Amino acid sequence: MDLNFNIGGVAGQGIDTIGDLLAQLFVGACFYTHTIKSYRSRIRGGYNYTQVRVSSEPVYAPVDEIDIVIALVKEGITRQRDQLVDGGVIIFDKSIEFEDMESCHFPAPLKETAEEVGGSEKMTNVAAVGTLLSVLNFPFSMIEDALSVVFKKKGDNIIQKNIDVAKSLYEYTQKEFKSKCRHDLTDAEKGACRDWLLLNGNEGLAFGAMAAGLKWISAYPMSPSTSVFQTIMQSAQELEIGALQTEDEIAAINMAIGASYAGARTMVTTSGGGFSLMVEGLGLAAMTETPIVIYDAQRGGPSTGLPTRTEQSDLMFLLFASQGEFPRVMFAPKDPQEGFEVAIRAFNLADRFQIPALILGDQHFADSILNIEHLDVSNVEIDRGKIAPDDIEDYKRYELTEDGISPRAFPGDKGKVVVSTGNAHLEDGHVTEDPIVRKAMVEKFLKKTPQILEEMQEPRIFGPEDAKTTLMTWGSTWGAAYEAMKILSSNGMSINQLHFCDVYPLRDETLRTIFDTADQIISVEQNSTSLFAKLVRMETGLAVHHEVNKYDARPMTARWIMKQLKEAGIE
Amino acid sequence: MIEESQLSEPQEATWCIGCGNFGIRAALKQAAIKLEVPHEELVLISGIGCSGKLPHYINMNALHGLHGRPVPIATGVHLANEDLKVIVITGDGDCLGEGLGHYLHGARRNVNIAVFIHNNGVNGLTKGQYAPTAPRGYESKTSPPPVGSPMMPVLPLPLAIVNGATFVARGFAGKRKMLIDLMVQAVQHKGFAVIDILQPCVTYNHELTWKYFNSHTYSLEEEGHDPSDKTAALEKAQEGYDNLPLGLFYKAEKPLLKEGLAIPKDGKLRMKENDLQKLQEIIDRRVIQ
Repeated sequence: MDLNFNIGGVAGQGIDTIGDLLAQLFVGACFYTHTIKSYRSRIRGGYNYTQVRVSSEPVYAPVDEIDIVIALVKEGITRQRDQLVDGGVIIFDKSIEFEDMESCHFPAPLKETAEEVGGSEKMTNVAAVGTLLSVLNFPFSMIEDALSVVFKKKGDNIIQKNIDVAKSLYEYTQKEFKSKCRHDLTDAEKGACRDWLLLNGNEGLAFGAMAAGLKWISAYPMSPSTSVFQTIMQSAQELEIGALQTEDEIAAINMAIGASYAGARTMVTTSGGGFSLMVEGLGLAAMTETPIVIYDAQRGGPSTGLPTRTEQSDLMFLLFASQGEFPRVMFAPKDPQEGFEVAIRAFNLADRFQIPALILGDQHFADSILNIEHLDVSNVEIDRGKIAPDDIEDYKRYELTEDGISPRAFPGDKGKVVVSTGNAHLEDGHVTEDPIVRKAMVEKFLKKTPQILEEMQEPRIFGPEDAKTTLMTWGSTWGAAYEAMKILSSNGMSINQLHFCDVYPLRDETLRTIFDTADQIISVEQNSTSLFAKLVRMETGLAVHHEVNKYDARPMTARWIMKQLKEAGIE
Repeated sequence: MIEESQLSEPQEATWCIGCGNFGIRAALKQAAIKLEVPHEELVLISGIGCSGKLPHYINMNALHGLHGRPVPIATGVHLANEDLKVIVITGDGDCLGEGLGHYLHGARRNVNIAVFIHNNGVNGLTKGQYAPTAPRGYESKTSPPPVGSPMMPVLPLPLAIVNGATFVARGFAGKRKMLIDLMVQAVQHKGFAVIDILQPCVTYNHELTWKYFNSHTYSLEEEGHDPSDKTAALEKAQEGYDNLPLGLFYKAEKPLLKEGLAIPKDGKLRMKENDLQKLQEIIDRRVIQ
């Protein structure tokens, strides 16, 4: 079973609630889900949709075909018609004027029932869910259970009203919906799938950061990064995390640098435009060797670009951001689980090497909701790096050491004076323009990179190692490419996938092996100029054989990738 | 608690002979001693310019950062360790040009830091262009005659009062005793404390000289000004270069920034981790039943 539901409406109608409710229901019934949100940069109005893919097997990406549409506005009925599968259904509220009726259309009294049975138009979303599940012959008892959990906080009365509304539509649909649906989930049963979480990438990242001991976050809201900041803000009281919304991104990164200088683990979150403002701060963090984690949820650029859409176009910008040369690490997690893990690694590496750690997400990573295994924080390892002992005499913040890493101390430490500066400096942190010291301090930076490289992970190979064709991906485009690779592989094609989470500095052992064994390597990226393929060529001299690029700022699907490959004669 | 020898300069100052910064540094040393706090608890956060170099000429914890950004950096340092006495060392170009926005937001947050603005009306380190506090008509390399500076100066003190600062004062590098006293009060004050410190640039500013400041300033205290009177403070703070008031304009008690944040009870984020059991509970609430 692999079904795709599209819930379309205007902002403010609660389409997210329907999507979330559906995902919870199906995850509660042990199905796998993948939810994407297509929305606009506005608060009210404008056609948006949430799309929930439900499958009995794990799913990693959206698909183009839609099985059931729930339309809360007329646009929802017409916009997705072409994507509807044979036997698919479009459910919409009876009050929407729509004359071009086909057998797939099912007008239902959603709003009317919400008002009459539930006493509030707000319950239209539950009405829609009741209708959809009735079309699928999903057992009603399970809907009851799920609604009890979802509305637990609102009390028994609200739970009962929601159940009544859903039931009313469920029964109405059983009676009135004549066309035959292909799907019959009568036998859906709750299995042993306890402990699943439904998280988006930003939430996975936020939980990872908190597990890693984040104690300070300062940020200015910017789509699609904001939910990391908000998730942490919501737990700040319980965990005693300092969190502040600042006047701008410049203040955000400078406050974080200040807090880190004073010994707190810190992170800032933003998107490309905000990161532009943070660049001078990035340089200060680098020069003062003050650890910091920076999250950039990429969106379509340049400038304001597409605030709520996806793109992988900031890679080179983050790689080269700031004047001067200094070590940095860069990660691009593919999904919420990896977001959690990467956050922890980023904090540890930032502290260990006293460098900026940059995490690249994008709107697709940020907003896509997946069910993942339960996150266990009990085994999180925290490495704060070299800390100067209490009894050290004549402490020097930038002491030249064998490995280029100087022990850290913090203002307030008895008997130590901790001096940092963005200027070129002596071991004691005071300014200098001495050429010999300058050279030594540059070499201090250079010594870090090989050590960092050892901590970076090799890319992962999915599929047979010795395949003739390789799809090369990084970050959130993993899912669609993985599914394309699986389909092509089962069709008999010799194909695998080489996927990068750790994008800089670049480990190249596996990369070189793949370039040796595969006949053709194809980069698949959500940008127009194959930035990662460029990075690979810059670092290794290895050039991919073909480039697949999606730059309409909408997420990829397996079918789209396969179409590109076919058109390029790659089969 | 601090001996003068502990503060001795790590490097020889590169300021011009006769620069007002020497007077400010001397006052800062005496204030540091008078504060009677452990040496390790004092932190200087400076920006860019002649003033920004001060941390290299006095032995204290310091972060000499970016142009215009010392207020947010100091905010982060203070919130990560409340025991620290965080002093921003900034100039008029630094604080009121590049960093004016941060200055106003620092004031409205009433974050518990002290901001010392070295105010000489010129961008000295870049060799004498007009700065945000230069009077209209001030002639410099980038504001040539006949017009001179084509705009009004920024008035840092009324801005601070209006935006929520709770300790607002003006000192003069040439009136050491008063300046030391104001510095001690500013650091001890709980809240956003500002001292606008008049400081001649002997090399580039031939208008705002030692002589000029000596003859065009007067003491607020001697005039009987009441620092709890906000309206009077605002009026006094707007008086121009013709006759500049010195001393404490305004002092008030207002909620501090940290009181609105989830900082641990001991006021320290330094080397802290999160309670993983609590975090697990937060995550567990998200488990799908």
